[in-house]
Amino acid sequence: MRLADLQTSTRDGIVIARVIGEIDSSNAGDLRAAITDATPNGALGVVLDLSGASYVDSAGIHLIYRLGEALRNRGQTLRVVIPPDSPSSDALRLAGVTRHADVVEELEQGVQAVATAGAAGQ
Amino acid sequence: MSRDSESGPSRAPRLGLGQVALEPAEPILAPGEQVRDLYRLTDPALSELPLEELLDELLNRVRDALDVDTVAILLYDEETQELVARAAKGIEEEVEQGVRIPLGKGFAGRIAAERVAIFIAELDQAEVVNPILRDKGIHSMLGLPLVVESELIGVLHVGSLTPRKFGQQELAVLQLAAARAAPAIGRARLFSELEHEHYVAMLLQRSLLPRALPETVGIQVAARYLPARDEVGGDWYDVIELPRGLVGVAIGDVVGHGVRAAALMGQLRTALHSYALEGHGPARALELVDRFVQSMGAYAMATAAYAVFDPETSRLRIATAGHLPPIIVSGGNARVLDLTPGAPLGGFPYGSCPEQEFSLATGEILVLYTDGLVERRGIALSDGINQLAAILSAARSAEHACQLALDQMVPLEGLADDLAILALCGNSVPEELRLELPADPEVLSPTRRLLRRWLRDHGVDEPALSEIALAANEACANAIEHAYPPSAASFLLTAKAVEVEETPEVVIAVRDSGRWRPPRGESRGRGLTIMHEAMDEVEINPAKDGTEVVMRRRLGQQ
Repeated sequence: MRLADLQTSTRDGIVIARVIGEIDSSNAGDLRAAITDATPNGALGVVLDLSGASYVDSAGIHLIYRLGEALRNRGQTLRVVIPPDSPSSDALRLAGVTRHADVVEELEQGVQAVATAGAAGQ
Repeated sequence: MSRDSESGPSRAPRLGLGQVALEPAEPILAPGEQVRDLYRLTDPALSELPLEELLDELLNRVRDALDVDTVAILLYDEETQELVARAAKGIEEEVEQGVRIPLGKGFAGRIAAERVAIFIAELDQAEVVNPILRDKGIHSMLGLPLVVESELIGVLHVGSLTPRKFGQQELAVLQLAAARAAPAIGRARLFSELEHEHYVAMLLQRSLLPRALPETVGIQVAARYLPARDEVGGDWYDVIELPRGLVGVAIGDVVGHGVRAAALMGQLRTALHSYALEGHGPARALELVDRFVQSMGAYAMATAAYAVFDPETSRLRIATAGHLPPIIVSGGNARVLDLTPGAPLGGFPYGSCPEQEFSLATGEILVLYTDGLVERRGIALSDGINQLAAILSAARSAEHACQLALDQMVPLEGLADDLAILALCGNSVPEELRLELPADPEVLSPTRRLLRRWLRDHGVDEPALSEIALAANEACANAIEHAYPPSAASFLLTAKAVEVEETPEVVIAVRDSGRWRPPRGESRGRGLTIMHEAMDEVEINPAKDGTEVVMRRRLGQQ
């Protein structure tokens, strides 16, 4: 059984990447590469939806930082959807990164933020 | 290219079997020899030979009796409408080269198409389809169709390199041989077709059963499939590893037998497996398989049971679609689960399956089975189920349950119907955890699950449960990252529950054999932060031969 599934879709030039399952150091690298591959150069950015993630550890946090860095270098924006009290919020809370600028509480908020940042950048 | 102009017209007179209209030919055998040769063809010992040897022997005897240069049997292939050389004496190449002659073409093709005996005194070379006969210079031929129960099986013919007149007597000898060969070939064919179908169905059935059952932490699964004595059925079982450590177990039975049932079984098993992986619970997954069966249009019916077990919480969800009730073995007792069965798959439009949820305590065994295990002629089905339950009450493990059922329920003479049985049992987790684990990130998720189960068994609840599991996971990930060859690529995880000054606490220790390296980069730094935040105390003890991280979390106050 693979630990997680990745579902990607595109809306108005924004890639929505939804992770269903668990993220740890056994699959975080592969997930990050898959999300990067699914993001064309012309995309405004990525909304990484972790509302369906049942487990995230420090490798998952690392993924968020590395993905954000890579996208910024390409002039793209990242937002990460982590609902409060979701299993994925544990690690972020304990690692003290809940107030990370890229984190939003729900999907539409993330899509809005990427769209706004994209419009400002053009 | 006529070689003997005296031998009459090249177009052969046609002979209906038994109505030979030829001028009487000279007897080619002395009366005594003839009787002996006829006897040799009707020899009862021949019927005991396997087909290959029978044909071989028969052709030898025909060749001797008629003193001909070639004898051959061609079999009719219904699919291609061709005659295929099967056995020959004299001109064996015919067989070796697999000569095929279309129905209606040439000498043998006409015998087969018109179902008459044909004598050709002198072959018109243009009319011979078989190049081997042409090359060898066969001159005269006599052949007749092989027919069993008015079905064409093939053609038997003899040939001579010199001009010959084949008459009544030769035809009678050939008819004797044909009467001996045709039913034997027919039987052998029928048998091999059945064999073939059985073989295909068997292969299909086997390829569709899981090769090995997945090994899952905290759970034991055993299963068996037994084919029927002489038929392949549509029973199946499946074990599905689901997200978050859940395990799905399924069993099912397609109505009917043979290749069709086995193929349908494969489709249903795959459908259920897919819906299960999609995350659907037992009732919904079975309902979706029902819709799938309905959409196939063809009449198809099956029963199935599907259960999802959570090894961490020991909760079991189960639903059946017209299937026999599961049996639960618990502490030396076995009871038939009182579960409302849903509609059989493909049975009713919009059939629904009620679902039940209950705890399957450690040591309790869930047993799913198909009717092949409990259905016996002259015994009521409910009696068969009760008998199985009585036998299973002695089961001590999932494997033992399967063994007992098969040992005591399967009749010695074999099964009239195929059967499947699957048993699932929650394993106990030791009081103190001590796991030697390979330094591979793949071990992280099963280790988390086992630890969560252990924490639950020790009365730890959320949110402490998730936080402790997360901290332990970070310590393990750290040990894995620091395990370099040539140092041993493994680490040790221990977990124990203690009481310090009347306060219960959990102590988790992770010991690796690598050198301690200060956390590098944001990632490991964050891991360390998580450990400190999640636990009350974190000690890092570097030693010469490795590093030990000991973490404590007090319970019941946070």
